[in-house]
Amino acid sequence: MEAERARRGRRRWSRYPSRTFYLFVSPWVLGFALLTALPLGYALLVSFTNFNGRNSRWRWVGMRNYTELVRDADVIASLVRTLAYTAITVPLMVAGGLGLAVLLNRRLKAVGLFRTIFFLPSVVPVVAMAIMWKLIFNRDAGILNAILEKVSVGPIAWLVDPNAFYALIILTLWGLGGGMVIMLAALQSVPVELEEAAVVDGASRWHVFRHVTVPMISPVIFFQVVTGVIASFQIIIQPLLLAESNQVGSVALVPQSTHLYMVQVYEEFFNNNRYGFGSAMLWVFFLVILAITLVVQRSSRLWVHYQVDSEAER
Amino acid sequence: MTVVRDPARPAIKPALPAPARRPRRRANAAWTYLLLMTLAVLFAGPFAWLVLAALKTKTEWVAIPAKILPEAPQWGNFTQALTEINFTAYLGNSLFLSFLYAVLVTFSSAAVGFGFARLRGRGKRPLFVVLLSTMMLPQILTLIPTYVLFARVGLVNTYWPWVLWGLAASPYLVFLFRQFFAAIPAELEDAAIIDGCGYGRIFLQIFLPLSRPVLVTSFLLSFTWTWGDYIAPALFLDPDHTTLSVAISAFYRDPHGNPDTTLQAAAATLYVVPVLVIFLFAQRYFIRGVLSSGVKG
Repeated sequence: MEAERARRGRRRWSRYPSRTFYLFVSPWVLGFALLTALPLGYALLVSFTNFNGRNSRWRWVGMRNYTELVRDADVIASLVRTLAYTAITVPLMVAGGLGLAVLLNRRLKAVGLFRTIFFLPSVVPVVAMAIMWKLIFNRDAGILNAILEKVSVGPIAWLVDPNAFYALIILTLWGLGGGMVIMLAALQSVPVELEEAAVVDGASRWHVFRHVTVPMISPVIFFQVVTGVIASFQIIIQPLLLAESNQVGSVALVPQSTHLYMVQVYEEFFNNNRYGFGSAMLWVFFLVILAITLVVQRSSRLWVHYQVDSEAER
Repeated sequence: MTVVRDPARPAIKPALPAPARRPRRRANAAWTYLLLMTLAVLFAGPFAWLVLAALKTKTEWVAIPAKILPEAPQWGNFTQALTEINFTAYLGNSLFLSFLYAVLVTFSSAAVGFGFARLRGRGKRPLFVVLLSTMMLPQILTLIPTYVLFARVGLVNTYWPWVLWGLAASPYLVFLFRQFFAAIPAELEDAAIIDGCGYGRIFLQIFLPLSRPVLVTSFLLSFTWTWGDYIAPALFLDPDHTTLSVAISAFYRDPHGNPDTTLQAAAATLYVVPVLVIFLFAQRYFIRGVLSSGVKG
């Protein structure tokens, strides 16, 4: 028996057919079916009804939720705000992460300390983050207005319209250290010889960075953009927590300017009890994310440089 | 560490006048330090302001103009924060849920990662593509319908959702384990197979012990996810059974119902310090976790 196993070692999978594989991956397969596919499918069904969450007397309404949705001024406004938020934060996050990484990618004293300080905010739980920034943005007692007062600006009411939008962006940017760590690793994976060769050829530092370093790390930049876009589309907790709220998970006091798409979804579900309409919004969001991912992926061929790497095919 | 613009590399130095470059370089480094210091103050500032707020009296906090330092540090704020709300109960809930989820999800993700890395089966490639694309799927998208479904079967206000999420493995952690297991040489398991070892034992007795750094990364990441999570406990748990994160965000009130800011700051400090301490001691594990998310699979 043992000898036979050894002989057929290369083809062992044929005697351990799919069964063993499926046994091992079953937690995820079942979990995906029950906790991802089922809720999404359920939301799709509900999106064609006028279900209000409690009443069992719902009925099919066909595409009505979807046709209402595209004409709903609040929904459109929240979508536009989300797009604006994404268009501002993603480039700043990616460029900021890359900038910090470039600063730290050299032989300096205490480089590790700086890296830790910049990375630290990205592990701070969102509740603590919101509390910290509310203390800073506080109109009367906050340090930001205290500093601005020194230069005779303000006081600015940061946490209400229209400034809450900028407060949210600042809070988001504080967490760009996670991207920095990824960029740093990408920079360090660029072969030194390549950049040195360019220097020998008389290229300036900017030219080396622009025409050697950036193309080499463009897959990482690309990935950061995609995940950044998706992350900023799903923002909900930060607006909720930055708002002056008096109960858990309440959207009632979220200012207009940070009333982003997911906040609108949350409101439809839990304040207006419009489960059907909220589910339709979720599905639109899901389809938009799919579309963005596809478009970005297609367009990436135009500007992303992938190194030919057989390892990646494994 | 790879140093890109290292001045001390004699091998390929172009014939530039070295003495002329050195002072410029030193000035450059000074500017870099100045920039880094400024940024460090901006990044660390919110932590300092939180602790300062936690150490002020209520009147000091609302004083106009704003005071930077408290007259005398109010350490009593911390003990008051512990008693003002049922802090230890919420802390217990947070610890329990975080630990429960972290243990379950680490083990299930390791098993699934092992399956994708070392076993063959029909439809493995398309399954893996599905797994990778669910990594991109926002959690919030499924969370609300999951809540609606769980409410109907009576799973709301129990800890079962966390058990189920834990057992279901996390695509992100699966990917982490899969990358690690795929890099282990095949001789190891071949030898075990010759010895008559089944894949269950190969996984438990050979691969799992080997993957200790990934196990630590996975445990720490999933623990801090649950510890820091707000929306799931806010949705799924009643105020009595909720976690510290929800309690801190809303439960510190003065008798008029206004936020009790200094106590909230003290509680938030107590809540965030463990995360920071774990992070400082285990930074490399967090970095490993972040990196695997940023590199295309």
